[in-house]
Amino acid sequence: MTDISHKISQIKKWLAAYDGPDISIMEVCGSHTAAISKYGISGMLSERLHLISGPGCPVCVTPTGYIDRLIELSMEEHTTVVTFGDLIRVPGRKKSLAEAKGEGANVEMVYSPMDILRLAKEQPLQRFVFAAVGFETTAPVYAVLLEQLVAEQVSNVQLLTALKTMPPVIGWLCEHGSGIDGFLAPGHVAAVTGSDLFEPLAKQYHVPFGVAGFGAEELLLAVYGTFRAVEQYRENDVLPGVKNYYPSVVCTQGNQKAKELVDTYFEPSDALWRGIGVIADSGRKLRAEYARFDAGSELLMEDHKKNQACRCDQVLMGRALPGDCPLFGTACTPMNPQGACMVSEEGSCHQYLMYHRTR
Amino acid sequence: MKQEKKITMAHGSGGRATSDLIREIFAREFTNPVLDAMEDAAVVPGSGKIAFTTDSFVVEPLEFPGGDIGRLSVCGTVNDLLMRGAVPKYLTCGFVLQEGLDLELLQRIVASLAATAREAGVAVVAGDTKVVEGNGGLIINTAGVGFVPENVCISAANCQVGDVILVSGHLGDHHAAILSRRMGIYNTIESDCAPLGEMVGALLEAGIRVHCLRDITRGGLGTVLKELAEASQVTMAIEEEFLPIDAQVRDFCGLMGLDPLYMGNEGKLVAFVAPEDADRACEILSGCVYGKHAAVIGTVTDEEPGSAYVNTAIGGKRVLDVLFGEGLPRIC
Amino acid sequence: MCVAMPGKVIEIYEKDALVDFSGNRVRAIAGLVPIAVGDYVLVHAGCILQKLSAGEAQDLMDLFEELEEA
Repeated sequence: MTDISHKISQIKKWLAAYDGPDISIMEVCGSHTAAISKYGISGMLSERLHLISGPGCPVCVTPTGYIDRLIELSMEEHTTVVTFGDLIRVPGRKKSLAEAKGEGANVEMVYSPMDILRLAKEQPLQRFVFAAVGFETTAPVYAVLLEQLVAEQVSNVQLLTALKTMPPVIGWLCEHGSGIDGFLAPGHVAAVTGSDLFEPLAKQYHVPFGVAGFGAEELLLAVYGTFRAVEQYRENDVLPGVKNYYPSVVCTQGNQKAKELVDTYFEPSDALWRGIGVIADSGRKLRAEYARFDAGSELLMEDHKKNQACRCDQVLMGRALPGDCPLFGTACTPMNPQGACMVSEEGSCHQYLMYHRTR
Repeated sequence: MKQEKKITMAHGSGGRATSDLIREIFAREFTNPVLDAMEDAAVVPGSGKIAFTTDSFVVEPLEFPGGDIGRLSVCGTVNDLLMRGAVPKYLTCGFVLQEGLDLELLQRIVASLAATAREAGVAVVAGDTKVVEGNGGLIINTAGVGFVPENVCISAANCQVGDVILVSGHLGDHHAAILSRRMGIYNTIESDCAPLGEMVGALLEAGIRVHCLRDITRGGLGTVLKELAEASQVTMAIEEEFLPIDAQVRDFCGLMGLDPLYMGNEGKLVAFVAPEDADRACEILSGCVYGKHAAVIGTVTDEEPGSAYVNTAIGGKRVLDVLFGEGLPRIC
Repeated sequence: MCVAMPGKVIEIYEKDALVDFSGNRVRAIAGLVPIAVGDYVLVHAGCILQKLSAGEAQDLMDLFEELEEA
């Protein structure tokens, strides 16, 4: 047995045998939720240890007004909406981009926002609007795109932004959430921002953060380490901080150049989180001098529940498990989603249903 | 004879252009005594237990690395027949041609369809062509007839507790190849699109006690296992570490946020065989042209009827359900 | 939330670089972090966001050790 697999088996023993006071940790990032299900980590935990899925799926927290605006744009003449695959099936107030496409709307799915440059050059008379959703990880990609749009004087590309940032929503959860004792911090956000991003939150709310990667071993390690940090805070009053379990990619300061470039084009703004409401300074918008690249992001403060019984908001806040919602798996399925958490493959409800996860 | 370079509505008129098209492209490639008679219906010999199936094929792009819509439309139907233990014999082909379809492209696709039919040992005995408005696309429907030997009983409801589960090779190749082209990612992934007659024939000839066969198509292995667990009211338990997945496909899935367990193939099968025959079955599959990477991946248990799960490499347990949604690439 | 993968830099061009992921080749935007051919980099949505530090396995081992001591 190699050293690492020996350690892993020790960690698994601890996680299965833990019988102290309950500990709840939120995995903020949707890819972590997916990975935890995929590796079967949630099933390794004792009844006293809880992993709660958080609001870190950009698609799930994008309000219906934004989707509706994208659909409007895609139906306009000489306009094409360009998007990641994630967003295509998210329901707006009446329909999704996929349904609009079926009715003849112009919607293109791409791997990278940079693909829009190629499209714009191929069809100079067509306007291309990128559905710019995402967190700190994706913001630099949009900033690089804007840099090239400016440099190459491309005038037929715009963004419809719904960019969000992590610290305000985590702070909001600490103030309003339901007993979250620690956080699994999103590793790819931290790759850009640096792990220091979470230090003020750890200090202010006395909760440990474990910056986690996405491989099975490194994720398990972060889960274990973060549970242990909560335990040690409770037992020995060791003040919680931020621990980096993803050192191959994450450093304390992150990518300085990427952060500067994002600040060149974007400034902080209040943002509307689907089902949660407005959280101050939790978003980013284009700076006034680049307003010409904005496809009307500012007017999108509408958020409608498709089904009043939907509890996506409670799920996003960690107050309810997907299974607590009366619609879960019955009226609300991935084929006919009532709320955004069921749409995205990273959505908590989708994950819990697909993997039969109950806790 | 002077022919247009593209399909026009005239090719569907039933007149001269139609008969030219049929003669020049379809009849020439598919030639056999039954079809060449050009009767209203094919009359063919056969008796006993008949297996009969149909499928329609739509794919973008029409030609892709490792295959094309022509090869696909033979494999899809022939493999469905084989999965019931039938020996495929006859095929019908319906072509819905969109206006603007490039004639050379059609020629290549029809030639590929004919070659695949020969490879699979089936004759195209009836066909039809229609032209519709559109922008150069092509839809093919095939129906297939095969004969099931008297002693063969292979069915989705026939997986037995204790059976060993095998797959005939790398998972997800077809879906990954198609999606790579659509998303503009360069790689050398090829569709695994292939007829599975050699494998099924070899297993049955060797007297392997095969209880169930299923080709892994849309929805991937995960969907197949869940469906069969329900049909047979058993539990499918597979091991992540044993799953044959090509490194390139694995990383492509990583880039796109996709899961190889839910990526479709077009030339792979999953087989449920009696435990005593498992090693021999794996050897037989591995010796076939399209079965080089065959592997034993798990067993059938009676833990929880109708369920399927994976023992993960790290020692967790992951429940499998059918694929929800469409397996679209995701980034954020 | 953010699908990203480490890949190896094969060639560097003016604005982007060719990055290999077990045979999958992506032209990824470079410029946010200094890179050289042979480096392993983290790519998200067609953009190089970080360079990976060497000795990943050792890092992981060190973390296990630290946790045990704690």
